[in-house]
Amino acid sequence: MKTISELRGMRPVYIAGVGLTPFRRYKDEEWYDFGSRAILEALKNAEMVWGDIQAAFLGSVYQGTGSGHQAISEVGLTGIPIINVENACSSSTVALRLAYQSVATELYDVCLAGGFEKMPRKGTFLSTAWREWERYMGFNVQLANYALGAQRYMEEYGATEEDFARVTVKNRKNGALNPRAIFQKEVTIEEVLNSRMIAKPMHLLNCCPLADGGVAYIVCSGDKLKSKNKKVAIATSVLTSGTYGLSGTGAGNEAYGGGSVKIHNIDVAELAAKQAWEVSGYGPEDIDIFEAYDTMSPSELWSIEDMGFCKKGEAPHLLREGMFDIDGKLPVNTDGGLMSCGHPLGATGGRQVCEIYWQLREEAGPRQVAGAKIGMCHTKGAGPNSCVTILKR
Amino acid sequence: MNSDKKRIPLKEGLWTIPSSPHEEPQLIGSKCLSCGEIFFPNKVKGRCINCQGENLEDIKLSRRGKIYSFTVVMIQPPVYYRGPVPYAFGYVELPEGVRVETLFTGCDFEDLRIGMDAELVIEKLYADDENNEVMTYKFRPIKL
Repeated sequence: MKTISELRGMRPVYIAGVGLTPFRRYKDEEWYDFGSRAILEALKNAEMVWGDIQAAFLGSVYQGTGSGHQAISEVGLTGIPIINVENACSSSTVALRLAYQSVATELYDVCLAGGFEKMPRKGTFLSTAWREWERYMGFNVQLANYALGAQRYMEEYGATEEDFARVTVKNRKNGALNPRAIFQKEVTIEEVLNSRMIAKPMHLLNCCPLADGGVAYIVCSGDKLKSKNKKVAIATSVLTSGTYGLSGTGAGNEAYGGGSVKIHNIDVAELAAKQAWEVSGYGPEDIDIFEAYDTMSPSELWSIEDMGFCKKGEAPHLLREGMFDIDGKLPVNTDGGLMSCGHPLGATGGRQVCEIYWQLREEAGPRQVAGAKIGMCHTKGAGPNSCVTILKR
Repeated sequence: MNSDKKRIPLKEGLWTIPSSPHEEPQLIGSKCLSCGEIFFPNKVKGRCINCQGENLEDIKLSRRGKIYSFTVVMIQPPVYYRGPVPYAFGYVELPEGVRVETLFTGCDFEDLRIGMDAELVIEKLYADDENNEVMTYKFRPIKL
């Protein structure tokens, strides 16, 4: 395995351009329709053509075999390797990691990465995270698993339903400034608390909405960049996938409370953060902007704490003080997060990356954070997975 | 009225079948003899996923524990679940050092609290298409 200094010594890798479709319900289109549009948008943004791409890594969860191939077949067919990535909700940032590794190790100079999802319309979100008998028991309700974690969080740290509601309010406020978000309307704490209970203590407005969408980015070496202006480099990309004893997003007994009583290994999200700090050489104090994983209100707070931005249980207080607002000390989810944008599983991570990219290039319009130079995003995925990406100007 | 209605377990091997009327069912777990870790359900493949040891033995778990977390689900889960809605589930921590994911029963869900004592019961989960009672384990808060 490479040492930290060997990893840092690899050639720099840049994001040359991005494409992100609006997140909404695409009734009359399939993933390869809006997905291929994201690819074309990224190529245009990077001032490149399809023939420049040497390898492709595309994420999706529910689209089936050859999903990346189908999207690319709407763009061009040049015999390059196409790999489909399924790491649940972290698919598109894991796809980015593969592209990053390929360019850093000089295997390729220009790669396409990204992801897309047209969410299933009815009933079954078939997840292999639960065995069949567990599904009959009613354990496989992801929202309810987060609720179990929220109950413990309230018990251990005194967090309240109002704290959780405040996450939704902040993100919906930011989402109102994002033309690509499925929800562009603010909500109040009262509206969140009055929305119907899904699984105690989680209300409907503590849950992110479903949406369809696609994302793509061109990842390349420095010499392939068409524009040397406002270069955005990938400082690090980390993936951790499951530590026994205590782990995040759903996988039977280990989810949100079912972890071991005796064995306390580091949580998978904390481990990813630890590796990200080690390899990048940065610390939490260096990050100007953070895309947290807010699939449900409490998970944004856990994302912030697991990365090390504050102590466990502290995030609700800092949120109340405005620390995570767009004009706060550490803006979180400036594009509205999953809460406003919606959650097409195969594209969510990529959306986080695009927001950081635009923020670092001062292209975020009304959402712009002044002087953002280093940005970070955290994508969790059932598995469990934790993918942490740091971008820098 | 069909009196041949059977009781069938949701899954074999999750709990013991009492051999006498005085015996109560117990959940069947695994204990790793190398690292001491306890698992539920038991590890039929005989492998400890903590230490990678292959020295496990089945153990009967305590019938009582404390509620570690719970939630009350107000929505119908997609496809599989055929029990009542709303329903409550969560984790019970047993004294030997294992948390069991479980349904909760025999109480007003409004009364559920973290830290409550609860005991194992074997109860109907739902009636299947042949009107058999599909049985499962649940935990019932102990009223003092």
